[in-house]
Amino acid sequence: METLQKRIKELIGNLQDFYLLSYQGGAGMLRRPFYFRDMIEQMDYAGSGSLVIIVLISLFIGMALSLQLSAELSRLGMKMYTGKIVGISIIREIGPVLTGLVFAGRVGSGMASELGSMVLGHQVDTLRVFGVDPVKKLVTPRILSAILMLPVLTIIGDCVSLLGAYYIAVFVSHQSGTFFWSSIRDILIYENVLAGSIKPFIFGSLIACISCYMGLSTKGGAIGLRRTTTRAVVVSFIAIIVADFILTRVLLYVLGFSV
Amino acid sequence: MIEFDRVSFSYGNRFVLNDLSFSVHENERVAILGGSGDGKTTILKLIIGLLRPDSGKILIDGEDITEKTEDELRDIRIKFSMVFQDGALFDSLSVKENVAFPLREYTGMTEEEIDRKATELLRRVGLEQAVGHMPEELSGGMHRRVAIMRSMAAFEPKMFLYDEATTGLDPVSADVICKLILDISGQGGGFIIVTHKIFDAFRLANRFMFLKGGGIIFDGGRETLLGSTIPEIRIFLRELNVNHNG
Repeated sequence: METLQKRIKELIGNLQDFYLLSYQGGAGMLRRPFYFRDMIEQMDYAGSGSLVIIVLISLFIGMALSLQLSAELSRLGMKMYTGKIVGISIIREIGPVLTGLVFAGRVGSGMASELGSMVLGHQVDTLRVFGVDPVKKLVTPRILSAILMLPVLTIIGDCVSLLGAYYIAVFVSHQSGTFFWSSIRDILIYENVLAGSIKPFIFGSLIACISCYMGLSTKGGAIGLRRTTTRAVVVSFIAIIVADFILTRVLLYVLGFSV
Repeated sequence: MIEFDRVSFSYGNRFVLNDLSFSVHENERVAILGGSGDGKTTILKLIIGLLRPDSGKILIDGEDITEKTEDELRDIRIKFSMVFQDGALFDSLSVKENVAFPLREYTGMTEEEIDRKATELLRRVGLEQAVGHMPEELSGGMHRRVAIMRSMAAFEPKMFLYDEATTGLDPVSADVICKLILDISGQGGGFIIVTHKIFDAFRLANRFMFLKGGGIIFDGGRETLLGSTIPEIRIFLRELNVNHNG
């Protein structure tokens, strides 16, 4: 019983610290000094560094999805709807979630391990000794870079997925390319685009805040660092999936879709 | 300058310092000795407000720092120059950028002036050739030299705090660091060095404190330390004999 109480207290304490760090990191965007150089470095790491892996994964997911749908829809005699269903799935759901998960695995883990090793190597303490606010210097640029780069990567990933889906639909499933693109054009309405584009901003801020929090609370040498990195990725994954469900529910309601 | 008044500190359930009281003046050369985990580094972190005590007061120039905010502590921290164990250089910055870091944060110098000052500081410790190197390319001794220069780049501290400045270094590199510390303190400004290398402590300091079980079991000068019959201190003093005989 005592252990349970202690664990609950610890969890509440951790949540408090997490919210405080996220708030301070976000508020840092509005306060001087602004660390533009750090932000550009982080954007480069998060953006161009993740581009190849996101393009590759999105391409194959788009192709696999198109294959699966073509096979199933052709049995029902509705193969021509492949473009429409693939488009909605990718733009509203798969694109943002998949890119978010890849981003958390690559960039989030990198943020957590980098900050963790800075904590263990006393580099964060050194910043404080020099009077530099570690949250402003380390967390704010990372949150900003994630918020800015994840939507960009999601758009690129969506486009590549659709190209992959197009390739399969036209060259393997022998559907009309013109009809495929006109189906995609039809679903590019305000509601779908909004539903797909809000998610990456939320996912980006969640990944950055979780990873920075995990990184800055690293303790216990190399094993602690391993634990931190793993936790950052696992918690980010769970947060993305849960947030995706909540956002989907809210957006469907707000945008007037009936379920 | 520094006064600890019945300071206690613990990491979770592990008590590290218990009712600790001592004071250090600005020009003193103090070595804090003790085993691993006895709270030597904790004392340095408490002095500059990186940690807060569970109870007691820490006065810097008569000002209690225990309740100060991070912003208020900024004025306290510039009175000190802290060099962490292993140097704590920023991995992502080159050697010159590391030294230039506090100059950029604290001074209104132009890039050209920062560049000149950083190069000059590195030349002083014989590292002008390493300006473009990354920290991972440096040896342990070079790390410490860069860290010492970085710590005094932007301001003139009243006191230096060295955390295990010579630990893990070969005798030649340790000798270079000791000479550098003495050279810097010769220009004014005392220091506190925490170490478990008593040989280096004897070269550098003239006051010795020995930590054990959360308290100070010895505080005095060289001769008194040498004559101490406290078993833990005698074990440390054996290193002196080894070095002397060697």
